[in-house]
Amino acid sequence: MSLAVLLATMRVQMKQSFARPMFRFCLIANPILNTVLLYEMYRGSGEESFMAYVVLGAGLMGLWSCICFSSAGDINRERYSGTLALIFVAPASFPTIILGKIIGNTLLSLLTLGISLVTAAVLFRTPLMLESPLYFLFALLAAVAAFVVISSVVACLLTLSRKTELYMNCIEIPIILLCGFVFPVSVLPAAVRAVSYALSPTYAVELLRMSVWGVEEPAAFWQKLGILLGLTALYAVLSALLYRRIDRRVRVAATLEVA
Amino acid sequence: MLRRFFDQAYLYHKGRRAAFKAEEFIFHQLGYPLVTLIFYCLIASYSFRTTNLTSWVIGNAFLLCTNACIFGLGNIFVGERYYGRLRSIIASPCAKLPLILANGLFPALFAVCASVCGFLVGAWVFGVDFSGVDLGLAALTIFCAMASAACFGLFLSVFGLMNDSMHLILNVVSYLMMIFTGAEFPVAQLPPVGQAVAQLMPLTKAIAAMNALFEPGQGSFWLLLLAELATGAAYALLARAVFGFAERSARRSGRFDMF
Repeated sequence: MSLAVLLATMRVQMKQSFARPMFRFCLIANPILNTVLLYEMYRGSGEESFMAYVVLGAGLMGLWSCICFSSAGDINRERYSGTLALIFVAPASFPTIILGKIIGNTLLSLLTLGISLVTAAVLFRTPLMLESPLYFLFALLAAVAAFVVISSVVACLLTLSRKTELYMNCIEIPIILLCGFVFPVSVLPAAVRAVSYALSPTYAVELLRMSVWGVEEPAAFWQKLGILLGLTALYAVLSALLYRRIDRRVRVAATLEVA
Repeated sequence: MLRRFFDQAYLYHKGRRAAFKAEEFIFHQLGYPLVTLIFYCLIASYSFRTTNLTSWVIGNAFLLCTNACIFGLGNIFVGERYYGRLRSIIASPCAKLPLILANGLFPALFAVCASVCGFLVGAWVFGVDFSGVDLGLAALTIFCAMASAACFGLFLSVFGLMNDSMHLILNVVSYLMMIFTGAEFPVAQLPPVGQAVAQLMPLTKAIAAMNALFEPGQGSFWLLLLAELATGAAYALLARAVFGFAERSARRSGRFDMF
């Protein structure tokens, strides 16, 4: 894997993504509007630390939207532009290029967290207090890794279909709901919670929220972090297997088009 | 004339669903909106600390039309431009309104179905009680709300002739509808300017009328319903006026787009 290819792809991807109006909506407008909406819904809740749900929730919703409407559809976008075959047979490996795109998108999408923080501070004069900054840093790094890997899995799965746009739309809200981006997953019924805990973003969100409120039980934090990293590794293996399968299928069928 | 209208409406519908299997199309039109309704009702149950979610089920059931009325209708001219029919539509001597209305017929029907399903799912999942409600008046309210939302969608669609960022505009509008219509939190929570904006939005009065049906004494049902119809009619007239302006501009400048 060439680092130069990875960095160059990240840079190009960030520029391309920002040029698209839909990505700009997800990156800028979505966190602002979600912050306003969630603030109005939460301000009468009586909960003192509700801003963690508002700011983190709005930021993460924006981040996930960026992933859904960009990372998940990037392979299909290359197909539409007629450049998929070129990057597939380029001397730089195909997974490296796709990984560069996904990392570029995810890093750019982290802006949503900052935008929702600024929106809350400017419009509502209620900044988010970060009680455990060092834990937050660990949680954020683990969350970025988890989102990069899950994007890679979703991108692989959507490569196999020509109905990417439909599926992109259909995975946004269900993941936000299942992973408890804006409310604790304990609100969900037990059967649904089982699905939630199989998804890595659930742990990422819980870790971020724990570090914002202040980590009182470090053991619980490290345990959740361990589970998150384990799930991320599992998803990474799944992603690698999917890429290998797609590669084989493309070589056998001698086409990058889908049925 | 009438037969041509329905033929045209069916052709538009066929064009929209051609790429999907029936179950995919139904999931997109009904399944995904229902997951969205459940998501926002769950946020409300947690943030407002309540088990009586009638008001949120009503608001979100009405918002289910967003998918069909705002995104479906709002993209009419974007679609026509994409398929190369814009020239024929602008240049032909036939009336444009029936053509636009034909485009909106099936989305409006799906919007009504989505809203009805929203109420049924609300009753099943969140225990909304319909026993004391006049179902005829409830159906009338849904019909008026969808007509008003469809007129608003038509108004938005004309902006497809004036800019190339309709995805951005429509997504922002869908969030504005969540914030300003009283679907997610009471309009009274908004500042005075926000409350004035809320009265200009479609669905605000229909949601209030439906709430009045469930809890008599919350306002005059018929007055609210008439106000909703007047809002829809105003948007239809605005759509006609803006389209006429765009049409004249296209004929004068010899260009089909104003951007």
